[in-house]
Amino acid sequence: MADDMTGGVPVATVARVGVTLTVNGADYRLDLDSRVTLLDALRDRLGMTGTKKGCDQGACGACTVMVDGKRVLSCLTLAAQCEGKDVTTIEGLAADGVLHAMQEAFVRHDAFQCGYCTSGQIMSAVCLLAEGRAGSDDAIRQFMSGNLCRCGAYGNIVAAIREVRDAGGHDA
Amino acid sequence: MREFEYVRAGEVGQAVAMVTADPETSYLAGGTTQLDLMKDGVLAPDRLVDITRLPLGGVTRDGDVLRVGALASMEELAADPTVAERLPFLREALLMGASPQLRNMATIGGNLLQRTRCRYFRDPAVSACNKRRRGTGCAAVQEVARMHAILGASEHCIALHPSDMAVALVALDAVVHLLGAGGSRSVPIREFYLLPGDTPDVENVLRHGELITAVEVPLLPPGARSTYLKVRDRASYEFALTSAAVALRIDGGVIGEARVAMGGVGTVPWRATTTEQMLEGSPPSPEVFAAAAELAITDPYVVPGTAFKVELAKRTVARALRTAATQGGPR
Amino acid sequence: MGASVLRPDGALKVSGEFAYSSDLWLDGMLWGATLRSPHPSAWIRSIDIGPALAMPGVYAVLTHEDVPGEKFYGLENKDQPVLAIDQVRYQGEPVALVAADHPETARRAADAIVVTYGEREAVTDPRVALERRMLVRHQPVRVGSTFSADVVVTGEYEVGMQDQAFLGPESGLAVPAEDGGVDLYIATQWLHVDQGQVAPCLGLPPEKVRLTLAGVGGAFGAREDLSMQIHASMLALRTGKPVKMVYGREESFFGHVHRHPAWMRYEHGATLDGRLVYVKAEILLDGGAYTSSSPAVVGNAASLGVGPYEVDNVHIDAYGTFTNNPPCGAMRGFGAVQACYAYESQMDRLAAACGLTPVEIRIRNAVSQGSRLATGQVVDTPAPLAEMLRDLDAMPLPESVSRDLRDLPGGVGQTTHGDGVRRGVGYGVGIKNICFSEGFDDYSTARVRVELLGGEPHVLVHTAAAEVGQGLVIIQAQIARTELGIDHVTVAPADTQVGSSGSSSASRQSYVTGGAVKTACEAVRERIEKDGRPLEVILQDGPIEETREYRHRRTFPMDPVTGQGDSHTQLALCVHRAVVDVDVELGLVKVVELAAVQDVGKILNPLALEGQIHGGTAQGLGLALMEEIQVRDGKVLNPSFTDYLIPTILDMPPMQLKILENPDPNAPYGLRGAGEPPTLSSTPAIAAAVRNATGLPLSRVPIRPQDIALA
Repeated sequence: MADDMTGGVPVATVARVGVTLTVNGADYRLDLDSRVTLLDALRDRLGMTGTKKGCDQGACGACTVMVDGKRVLSCLTLAAQCEGKDVTTIEGLAADGVLHAMQEAFVRHDAFQCGYCTSGQIMSAVCLLAEGRAGSDDAIRQFMSGNLCRCGAYGNIVAAIREVRDAGGHDA
Repeated sequence: MREFEYVRAGEVGQAVAMVTADPETSYLAGGTTQLDLMKDGVLAPDRLVDITRLPLGGVTRDGDVLRVGALASMEELAADPTVAERLPFLREALLMGASPQLRNMATIGGNLLQRTRCRYFRDPAVSACNKRRRGTGCAAVQEVARMHAILGASEHCIALHPSDMAVALVALDAVVHLLGAGGSRSVPIREFYLLPGDTPDVENVLRHGELITAVEVPLLPPGARSTYLKVRDRASYEFALTSAAVALRIDGGVIGEARVAMGGVGTVPWRATTTEQMLEGSPPSPEVFAAAAELAITDPYVVPGTAFKVELAKRTVARALRTAATQGGPR
Repeated sequence: MGASVLRPDGALKVSGEFAYSSDLWLDGMLWGATLRSPHPSAWIRSIDIGPALAMPGVYAVLTHEDVPGEKFYGLENKDQPVLAIDQVRYQGEPVALVAADHPETARRAADAIVVTYGEREAVTDPRVALERRMLVRHQPVRVGSTFSADVVVTGEYEVGMQDQAFLGPESGLAVPAEDGGVDLYIATQWLHVDQGQVAPCLGLPPEKVRLTLAGVGGAFGAREDLSMQIHASMLALRTGKPVKMVYGREESFFGHVHRHPAWMRYEHGATLDGRLVYVKAEILLDGGAYTSSSPAVVGNAASLGVGPYEVDNVHIDAYGTFTNNPPCGAMRGFGAVQACYAYESQMDRLAAACGLTPVEIRIRNAVSQGSRLATGQVVDTPAPLAEMLRDLDAMPLPESVSRDLRDLPGGVGQTTHGDGVRRGVGYGVGIKNICFSEGFDDYSTARVRVELLGGEPHVLVHTAAAEVGQGLVIIQAQIARTELGIDHVTVAPADTQVGSSGSSSASRQSYVTGGAVKTACEAVRERIEKDGRPLEVILQDGPIEETREYRHRRTFPMDPVTGQGDSHTQLALCVHRAVVDVDVELGLVKVVELAAVQDVGKILNPLALEGQIHGGTAQGLGLALMEEIQVRDGKVLNPSFTDYLIPTILDMPPMQLKILENPDPNAPYGLRGAGEPPTLSSTPAIAAAVRNATGLPLSRVPIRPQDIALA
């Protein structure tokens, strides 16, 4: 902590900001402490805990979500910056109770163990296909390298992505 | 993180005026460095001015110059076809510089201002850090260092400039466009960064409130060969131990033009001018490359943990030169 | 049984609905924070909690004086204070606690507590600790008296401190109960040993401290010791409100034990044709500030310190030291990992000295069923190491040329290509004890209930066994389905409302909890068979429920002087071959392929099993090439995922696996625990491959670029 935060110095009035977040197609009007990251807004304010906090400093990928169709790290994004943008989280992938093909493939290939990194892996993998970068196993590895998995399910993650690519017309 | 006021800037002039007027106000772009350091308690601005919606993006080509808006993302620049064709090593540096998620967030302007990974700088509990507070000393010199600089360093500071992209831009003599309350100016990138000297807290020529608006990057001549080589502790998602950005124009068996810059070694992205001078006019042979690479590191400031970088950096340059000469065509 | 049944929690995990401990939420809950020592060794002169208590939003600030019951806890020895009393012994030791209405407020209040420390000498070199006999355990192994041979190789080896680095940091939610007790929802490996440590410190009887397993974001040993279990409970009891605690990534590095760093000296003597005559070893493991599970770790290093080789003369001294370094304890492989790196490095040296291949030297000395280990224990179940090595050797090698990854569609990749790259191949063999050893009463409890739901028979399996990602919930369900022939099986959430299942560690849960579920199912089946009526009819009278405990074969302590004793109940083998490309100029290593052969006795679920082998192998790769908590003068230098590197998907190569099924007649279904052995053998295989490519001795892991390029 910085010097000015120690010694019991009273904290200043909390600066707040009004934000409308569009998450998985629904609008949420939030009055937030301006420090709140997109990750914390999702988890603590909207109760969408599918997006995980692994390091809170952009070094693990567990918090990956889509903002306006692009994969980003929600731990290093302020909620306030997302005003008017389309946020998609792991909770928004399934449609009408039917899992997204990537979610299905992750289950089928056992592409996780503890599952803590899985939301981020799947969000990243869905974007990877949309980016047209899953042409080979090497490419999948290259462009999934921002998502750590400590259980070491990497081989199965590659297999799951490959299967969705081959079935889905992306990146064929 | 300390409280701050969040303001979304509506137009460029307003943003510049707001930040200029208050020393405790900072810009917020991609946030990948700014928010990280605010979480660590290293930065504690009273107000953040979000500039991400300002019209400062885009990548456009004008003849042999690429104009890159400061808010273009690393990913956007890496995906640009001109970059692939005429600046392939810049593209490599961008792609090796961060994960796909971070590349979508981080801006070109922000990347130029990326702060050091020096662990002592990033830990406010460490009191000795001239970069955080001038005159307090340098813990990195006294304690354990590894991911630190050996060029442009001194007992005052051995903090490393962490950017990969900036290394390629320094090799390319990019020009940084700035806008301040008093007007705009352009600064060659090698003059943009300042050596720490005894004021490591001052990292560049930006005056408070001045905003990077664009970077102009001269394209490599058609047929030039280039590469970005990065040596690191794991295959991806990691900073450089040493790196080299190299571009060569070879005419009739002779190196007509050489551009060589190094990362992972300098307090600023480091241009290897002596190496370039030796290369130009010489044949592109492994012997010449090895001899030229020997000149890349002169008068290093090493501590026990960084001594290995002297030799490793030379090898990195030599290898990058060989790779560029043999395989460094457009991608 | 034997099919790749998918995880019942899989759909929840891929849809973000699986509730990890950090996802728990109760309205009106408070947030806890911990103040930790910045010093590795200091007296505490005073603690002033006034400034913290005065902060708006703060509900409680607690120190050791507020610990309601016993002030110390610990897995094997209650030597760790709940909160520091008068002194701190490692950097990061908990000193005080705060509960507040917001996590940021709690954090700031913790920082506002004024602690006056008097720094004192820290002992941080385990070799100094050894000289001063600051030992948590010294375990010798002594057998035979011939310590000379025609061929002698010696070596000194080091293993850096590895972190479990699970992705989901420590977290838990403590809820005060009306009976004065507490309900704790926690990510842990062992609910009952948590309960057994928490309750006395809270001054409560065990039944008033009820634990329920919350979703676990990886464990790997790091959740075997307590983290905030007592702390959150104290805050909840003091404030009368639910208290949630979640460590950040940096705090996580201080909040759990690590793998012991090791300094090892080995001497191997052999005949000219490569048969081992003797092994002498000194193994020094730094346990850091508190006991944790160091005694058992030292025991493993000693009893398995020779590896799976026949040798008649053994002289081992394994030491665990007390220092002011971070406490070390359980991590996947548990004491066997460090020794394996050293003895396998030695076997390669011996092969070179005898003019044999690495495979041949290992085959010549391989244990098999009937072999006697250095502890005198006879390997009484199949141990086909020679066969495994031949199988491994027969696996096809990957293509000899590395492709240029820069030709990817994305266009960028590794630097390990082109000139200066040399191919290397290396082998590693590991032997790991399965289940708890050395006389520990190691059991598991299962309650199995069959009842009619919607007119159909359903099975409910209830244990306290922690699913940590290994797939235990699938195994339990598969066993119940197999034993009872009923399709509808639900595995109840693990909690302390049923007897202990022991720890999700030592690769033991399929064996022990699997055995308990099997036994309880058999008891249910027996009742059904005895009744004679059709199941649906019987169940109309009410559910059938049976609870059973299962114990594996008894084990015995090691003799404190000679190390002799049948200390293990089951031993498991894994062998690895690593193929690497090393850029010898730049020091970069690309692991091209890892192949493994493992004998698991009986495959229960192929998919889950392969996942365990992949995962164990990946963690061994990390130790070989990048993972190390750097500690200097007792202070951790790299407590972040930016600075503590674990393998990315690009670092982990494809694997070839061959899985053998030579049953252990003592174990349920003949199975053998599988999670840990691959963690042992992948590290030395990779190190050997890098040595093979470079010709360098490389006696320390992790191997960093500069160790290769600038050797």
